[in-house]
Amino acid sequence: MKKLLWVLLLVLTLVIAGCSGGETSSTEGEEPVETSDSKTLTIAMGTDIVTFDIHDHNTTSTEAVHVNMFNYLLTNDPEEGFQPDLAESWENIDDTTWSFKLREGVTFHNGEELTADDVKYTLERVAKDDTLLEHGNYNQIETVNVVSDYEFEIVTKNPEPALLNRLSRLGSGILPQEYIETEGWEVFLENPVGTGPYKFKEWKRDDRLTLEANTEYFGDAPKWEELVFRSIPEDSTRVSELLTGGVDVAVNIPPTDVERVNETEGVTTVQSPTQRVMMLVLRTDEDSVTGDPLVREAIDLAIDKQAIVDSLLEGAGTVTRTRVTPGNVGANEDLYGQTLYDPERARELLAEAGYPDGFELTLTGPNGRYLKDRETVELIAAMLSEVGITVNQELIEWSAFNQRYQERDFAEMFYIGYGNSMFDASLALDRLTIENAEGETDYDNQQVNDLLLAAEQNMDPEERVQQYQEAQEIIAEDRPQIYMFQLDAITGINERLDFEPLLNEMFYADSITLN
Amino acid sequence: MKYLVQSIIKTIPVLLLITLIVFLLIRVTGDPVSLMLPETATEEERDSLRESMGLNEPLPIQYFTYLGELVTGDFGDSFRYNTDALSLVLERLPATFELAIASMIVAIVISVPLGILSAVKRNSFFDLFITGGAVLGKAMPNFWLGIMLILFLSVTFQIFPVSGRGTLGHLVLPAITLGTGIAAEMTRLIRSSMLEILEQDFIRTARSKGLGESIIVNKHAFRNALIPVVTIMALQTATLVGGTLITETVFAWPGLGQLLVQSVNLRDMAVVQAATFIIAIFVILSNLLADLIYRFLDPRIKYE
Repeated sequence: MKKLLWVLLLVLTLVIAGCSGGETSSTEGEEPVETSDSKTLTIAMGTDIVTFDIHDHNTTSTEAVHVNMFNYLLTNDPEEGFQPDLAESWENIDDTTWSFKLREGVTFHNGEELTADDVKYTLERVAKDDTLLEHGNYNQIETVNVVSDYEFEIVTKNPEPALLNRLSRLGSGILPQEYIETEGWEVFLENPVGTGPYKFKEWKRDDRLTLEANTEYFGDAPKWEELVFRSIPEDSTRVSELLTGGVDVAVNIPPTDVERVNETEGVTTVQSPTQRVMMLVLRTDEDSVTGDPLVREAIDLAIDKQAIVDSLLEGAGTVTRTRVTPGNVGANEDLYGQTLYDPERARELLAEAGYPDGFELTLTGPNGRYLKDRETVELIAAMLSEVGITVNQELIEWSAFNQRYQERDFAEMFYIGYGNSMFDASLALDRLTIENAEGETDYDNQQVNDLLLAAEQNMDPEERVQQYQEAQEIIAEDRPQIYMFQLDAITGINERLDFEPLLNEMFYADSITLN
Repeated sequence: MKYLVQSIIKTIPVLLLITLIVFLLIRVTGDPVSLMLPETATEEERDSLRESMGLNEPLPIQYFTYLGELVTGDFGDSFRYNTDALSLVLERLPATFELAIASMIVAIVISVPLGILSAVKRNSFFDLFITGGAVLGKAMPNFWLGIMLILFLSVTFQIFPVSGRGTLGHLVLPAITLGTGIAAEMTRLIRSSMLEILEQDFIRTARSKGLGESIIVNKHAFRNALIPVVTIMALQTATLVGGTLITETVFAWPGLGQLLVQSVNLRDMAVVQAATFIIAIFVILSNLLADLIYRFLDPRIKYE
């Protein structure tokens, strides 16, 4: 019996030792207030970055980190338009040639100087190597001609009005040619080098990436000594880290946790639009019941999109009648923030179309891919049944959904959300040309087709925007896609910080400042 | 020695079967290309990626190519990280071992005294309490327990850090989360095993010799009761290495479990294959180890 007591005592000691060990080690960065003088910014992401090969990924969250290490030639500000970064100035010489002038005296983190050769090396690599994931967004570039150390020309295969959009996004960071060519890609990937305000320090996969200030940066001096990007996949854990001050910024706060975060002293949430627009895609061919425009209109009018935003997303979205939302070239703002809902009229339309007693259709949606996707599909089905449309719901796991999506194997309607990393209407609407719509919507509107194809290569920016806006008007009436809402991102932040989330979801550390 | 060699030879077909099952499962459950490219990617882009990943070949050819490379220790490259899959997996092992060992310690520290105590005080209130607690501990899902521990001990009382790996403090909550379920199972096992032993003749003999109760319980009974317990421990250690999946994700612990979960989600085939292979080797090894420990605990067991 005595020995048992000893054992119990031992257990107790171990437990206490464990606790106290935890206490001493957890003091660093637990209380929000005490971290306020720290020069380290910690951001909790939902996933780890994928790679440092800026051409071989297409993940926004990875790019959000890269922008602190690499610079683009220019940046795309939703309000101010294109702004110089590594390029001082640029000019569109003819339909396929653009000339650029580089900023002088920029050095990479290893001391190498940036020249036009680096630009040529970077852009031609992604334009020519078709095994790279970003190749499709750069293969419009024919060649890059180096004129002098600081001057170069980009020649495109066809007129490419969206070239500047391409050069100010994912995959456009300029790489150090000499470093990569002498050391090899393996070394670069272990020890990446860019021109940005922060340089690589350490990467522990699925744990954290640490960057440190680049004191030689050509622009304003970096505001933080150290940046830490932590990978925390579980939503509730990310929220908890934010609440305890373990991180300063946490992405993707679930709508259900917003209230809890806002009620906690020292932390808050900010809501900001993203590029993703959720929509129903409908078949318009004559064999489908949705081939009748009246039916499509009735479906649109039967769905209360604002109610979905309010109830399921707790307000984290904006209704829209176009996919090209503000901040994108070619956006039609008259259709943004608008929605139609009139179940009475929907019933009349169905009767007019010859379905006074309603009909049946199948709606396919992914389960678990987008915020509340399953619930949204269920709610849509319920709303449609109110006007007499019986919906067979088909909710499937994403990879199975995606397979059928690629095979264009859906029935009357499917639910999906598209992003747009190009910030241009061309990418947003390209599934609606007659050629691309085949088998999916079978949308066949010659006028829209002509407008989209003309705008795609139109080098007159104003006329191009008009073409896209006109196309959006027609699409909003024809409804091959019924737009629901633009999703918002909810970011949790420590109140010691001043932070405005960007539409492109990038984290420019130097735009995040101490209060 | 002969026994060892035989056991090792026996593992080869098992490992082959595992590679085949994992290989097939991961290929019938979805297309990695669709997960790597955005919704807006064109058919051309998808095809060229499929081609460059070697997914156009017929399945048997893909499998034999894979086996051939496996023999040379090449598990292929991760699509996600663009780097050697095996080294990715091996890189994660220390973190997972650390967590597994800590969880096992938690489990032993809880289960051994409680199991013995509830056997010795059979049918008392104390026994009832422990047995009830064990059922509860076994029934609690790991992710739920983990989230609750974070809420109480990290958010409300701020005793332990929420997530990540680094200090001893970071280890406490995930180790308790994982250790609790095992502790519950082991407590019940130790209790029943002890009960059985305590009824046996040699215990009665020991008592009639006038030996103290504590010597009887700790030396005579416990050591004999250990044999089934060791089996469970060895098996659990192996499961821990592969079974930290959910707990590692909840605590953002950068180990094998989290790597495997994300690789499965993204159909990162090479990594899933390498990780399951390594886990399988651990399961086999720990079974072997359990066999060897029996022999040490009970010299009557001989392997021929």
